[in-house]
Amino acid sequence: MKQKDHLLTRRDFLKMGGALSVGVAGLGLAAPLFGNFNDQKLRIDLEKFIASRKKDFIDYTRAKAVPTICFGCTTHCGIVGWVQDGKVRRLEGNPLDPNSLGNTCSKVHGAISFTYYPERLLYPLKRVGKRGDGKWKRITWEEAIEEIGDRLKACRESGHPERFIFHYGRDKTKGFTKRFTNAFGTPNRLNRRSICSSNRRVPLMSYYGRDFEWETQDLENTKYILNFGSNPLEAYQGGMYMMHRIQRARVDNGAKMVSFEVRPSATVNCSDEYFPVMPGSDAAIGFAMANVIIDEGLVDKAFWERWANVSLSEIKAHIKDWTAEHAEKVSGVPAADIRRIAIEFAQAAPHCTTMTARGSAKHYHGTQGDRGLRMLDVLVGNVGREGGLCLSSGRMWGGGKYGQDGLPAVSQPKPRPPKPKPFTPGTPAYADLPEGVKAKVARLDSKWRNRYYGELATPSEYPLSWNWYGMKVGQLVHPYIREGRAKVDVYMSYTYGAAYGYPEAKVCREVLLDEKLVPFHVAIDIDYSEQAALADIILPEATSLERWDAHSTNCYGLIPYTGIRQPLVEPMGEARPIQIILRDLARHIGGGMEKYFDFDKVEDFYKEWYKNISAQFPGGWEEFKRRGIWQDPSRAKDYQLYERPVPKEDVVGATIDPETRVIYREKKGKKRAVGIVMEDPVTGEMKAVRGFPTPSRKIQVFDPVFPLAAQSAGLPDGDPNGAALPTLFTTPGFDALEDDDLILTTFKWNVHTQGRSSQWKYHAEVIHTNQIFINPKTAERMGLRNGDEVEITVKRPKGLTYRGGIDEVVGSVRNTVRLLKGVHERVVCFAHAGGHWEHGAVARAENHESGPAAKNGRESLLDADVSADIWWSKARGGTGNGARMNDVLPINPSPLVGGQNWFDNICKIRKVT
Amino acid sequence: MSQLPSIPWERLERRQRSLPMKRAGFVIDLRRCIGCHACSISCKTENDVPLGGFRNRVRYLERPDSDRISYLPLLCMHCQDAPCLEACPTSAITRMADGRVVINQEQCCGMKACIAACPYGAIYLDAKAGKADKCDMCTHRTSLGLDPACVASCPTGTLRFGDLGDANHPVTRYAQEHGAKPFKEDAGTRPSVYYIRHEPWMNEAAATGVQITPEDDEIVYEQTGEEL
Repeated sequence: MKQKDHLLTRRDFLKMGGALSVGVAGLGLAAPLFGNFNDQKLRIDLEKFIASRKKDFIDYTRAKAVPTICFGCTTHCGIVGWVQDGKVRRLEGNPLDPNSLGNTCSKVHGAISFTYYPERLLYPLKRVGKRGDGKWKRITWEEAIEEIGDRLKACRESGHPERFIFHYGRDKTKGFTKRFTNAFGTPNRLNRRSICSSNRRVPLMSYYGRDFEWETQDLENTKYILNFGSNPLEAYQGGMYMMHRIQRARVDNGAKMVSFEVRPSATVNCSDEYFPVMPGSDAAIGFAMANVIIDEGLVDKAFWERWANVSLSEIKAHIKDWTAEHAEKVSGVPAADIRRIAIEFAQAAPHCTTMTARGSAKHYHGTQGDRGLRMLDVLVGNVGREGGLCLSSGRMWGGGKYGQDGLPAVSQPKPRPPKPKPFTPGTPAYADLPEGVKAKVARLDSKWRNRYYGELATPSEYPLSWNWYGMKVGQLVHPYIREGRAKVDVYMSYTYGAAYGYPEAKVCREVLLDEKLVPFHVAIDIDYSEQAALADIILPEATSLERWDAHSTNCYGLIPYTGIRQPLVEPMGEARPIQIILRDLARHIGGGMEKYFDFDKVEDFYKEWYKNISAQFPGGWEEFKRRGIWQDPSRAKDYQLYERPVPKEDVVGATIDPETRVIYREKKGKKRAVGIVMEDPVTGEMKAVRGFPTPSRKIQVFDPVFPLAAQSAGLPDGDPNGAALPTLFTTPGFDALEDDDLILTTFKWNVHTQGRSSQWKYHAEVIHTNQIFINPKTAERMGLRNGDEVEITVKRPKGLTYRGGIDEVVGSVRNTVRLLKGVHERVVCFAHAGGHWEHGAVARAENHESGPAAKNGRESLLDADVSADIWWSKARGGTGNGARMNDVLPINPSPLVGGQNWFDNICKIRKVT
Repeated sequence: MSQLPSIPWERLERRQRSLPMKRAGFVIDLRRCIGCHACSISCKTENDVPLGGFRNRVRYLERPDSDRISYLPLLCMHCQDAPCLEACPTSAITRMADGRVVINQEQCCGMKACIAACPYGAIYLDAKAGKADKCDMCTHRTSLGLDPACVASCPTGTLRFGDLGDANHPVTRYAQEHGAKPFKEDAGTRPSVYYIRHEPWMNEAAATGVQITPEDDEIVYEQTGEEL
């Protein structure tokens, strides 16, 4: 009714002349319409209007533009910032960035919100009273460095440097913090990769030898995208690079996108077909499609026989039972549609690609399931081809050469500290291990045992989390500290939100509050996070608009590039960039550490780091800074890297295994596979080509590392997680769901990022709450209506996971329901980023400031909106800031790999009356 | 390495302001919109729009015919027959040479007649300033040849800005080629904003306000049709 009233009011003002001209509008478009306005008497000239605007509008004729790199999420697009009167006023895409092509999403603007946030931390703080009480006093940097430095020095000199834990949530310094931990001698530079993407990186690394940062589809040229729960149009790392390419492919090139999902994500909403599926059934659909492609004779046999390390007949026999009918039963997608789509996909080859990150992988069986989905690309032979699943060489440094030949080397300035020593018998670190852990280490295959670094960096039960590189298992760090698997002297949190955002986050909080387990906790952050609230000392960091960083990642334009983050303005207050903080700590600790931090200005360090890039420009370093990006656009795209010849320097002194034809080269006493001898498909000549960077130099559809890891981790014989061939199985418990069991699935809104954006005022204004979404039919069965309050209770998972199989409830949380068509009937969609209790007034949705930063003098950060005009606060009649979800989600690492199974949460919901 | 590309952001100094278009307007291609809010948040940052006010907004609409969501960016339509302009008692709302409708803040006395008159809900009251405010096509940018902030921030090419009075302007041609139509054409105000793949049901669905308003805070996805 409200809408009709509104129309009537409006009609009073509507001129008849306007109403009569309806028919003209359509025609009017083509004809020049200057002078055709009905109200031409009313005019204002440009100068007068500009003068009438608020005085501080951005004047682009005098604002200074500086290119830098966005830090709104982990994608890191090249941007340009406009600085006026010493303040960053505007951020826009840098068109020279070959990945984003000058595009940005909404999150770029968050940097202005968080840099000028009234509750930003501007001074070092030290707690007074008990840890976690929220009482602080301001201290000087000298005092802070001395106290932290003394603690670290004592730890290092005790012979147990591993008792220093550096745990980050956001570290895009591209190795600078590792320089510090290596120089210190601790392997415990811990991360959150398992929270994010381990389960999908392992299939990539197993198949193709490395994760290439992410899979890199040639989206500009593709004709068919088969999407299994991936959401790049909304909230995926790399999303920005993909979204503009996907939309161009669809709208301009007629590409088709088919999505299997559990809710109408942005990617679903832009798909040509959408099938709501039972959570965790993607792999069943994938295996069924593989069967269809084989049965229909649509396999690219030449590609499979040349590059897959297992025969087609063997795969066919292995997967034959996982048919389209079977997939229909578990997923709900009609078998006929599965067949049709599989055929369409294969017929589009090579201009077709799967898109699996990350929905399909975040399950107990997600690693094996994604290995199955990966097979589709190999079967149709789109790998590395135009329009297919490409494997761009990724960042311009690290990880051994593959596809980076001829690029200028970009590496950290020398001297570089050595890596810490493994925990082998006889070392103090090994002696420190509990007997139970020593027994687990003894069980490991020598491949892992010889490079074991303790349970935090290299958890013995999860060897695949550190087989290729140290992904670690972040969500087990706090339980392991509590269990005594590792000892801690100093725990340093670096822009890290585990206390809020980790599954079962209360475990993290309990451990950080326990001064026996964690004697000293330092938090480095830009505002007062839930993690910082549990610290002994908080150090205020410079924001991304105030500091330097190196940047390089995989390029969806398939030509490697690099960029530089540079400060647009000086840090606010006494905030300091991480490089200065760690440099000063290293100098205080001494003992040789200081020599790795021999720079006065941060810029000098990066100038040295980038000296070979500067050499590419006639204007050197200044010209690189002026552009922000380097790429050689004349370079060939990274298609079919595996067919390229082995680089000359690798051929010298190489040996060839006569059976496998793998080419090996010895370097520093280590035998390394560098290529494979293959018959040229045209000439029949034998040629040394690079192949894939796997042990067999082929695509490892069959991978013996899985059974080896299963044996090392002590998994029961025959456990499907340890299968050498991609294998389909179900999350334990999903096969015996009760009628009213639902699956709680988390998601991220497009305006939010990793639990660190709820204090961005304009983004919080768009999404500040997180009511759950359920299907109207589910609601009807349960007697629920829009807006009803419910209690959601999550059970402990079954299977071989943390506390797996213990019959208990993890927790309950109350929230309101919102009915939404398109959500799968078994699914509860619960968004991340709600329910903050720190991060200041905006994130807490309150009309007053109460964090420790509020008491600092900071005239420069006055904001008319914050906090009086936060209209969504409960005090102002709004919904508030939503429900705290993460405490009730179980710590649930998948076997061997440790990726968090975010989408396996079996729950019940009950109406609160 | 081939010749270095030019640096587009360095060409603005000493540029003279002008409004050379015959009829400035937007074309919004709904086939490309992903609902990312880059336009709306970019607009707020650029124009320092207070919390609770919106010059530009993106609405999420549940489709009546499927289980998906459609996205609808909305801004001032810069109507050729602008009801706000007629309704303003102080003549604060005027038109510029290229047809854009603007509010002269110096003359606005905050009576809200324009807000009631607008069929598109495109005008808000800045409570602190006591003035009405709305999209002015980022005159401070467009008079220098830059795109409006929303267009410059759109990652998918959904929003386009150009001279609809020039039949050969690429944006005009793009609009014609794809049968662009105004939103709520029946309101009869002859907007200068044209939508590609706009569907009739959206007129009803998007009758009021912004995606999330202070008055209606519960709604994230707006429903169409009957209450579920």
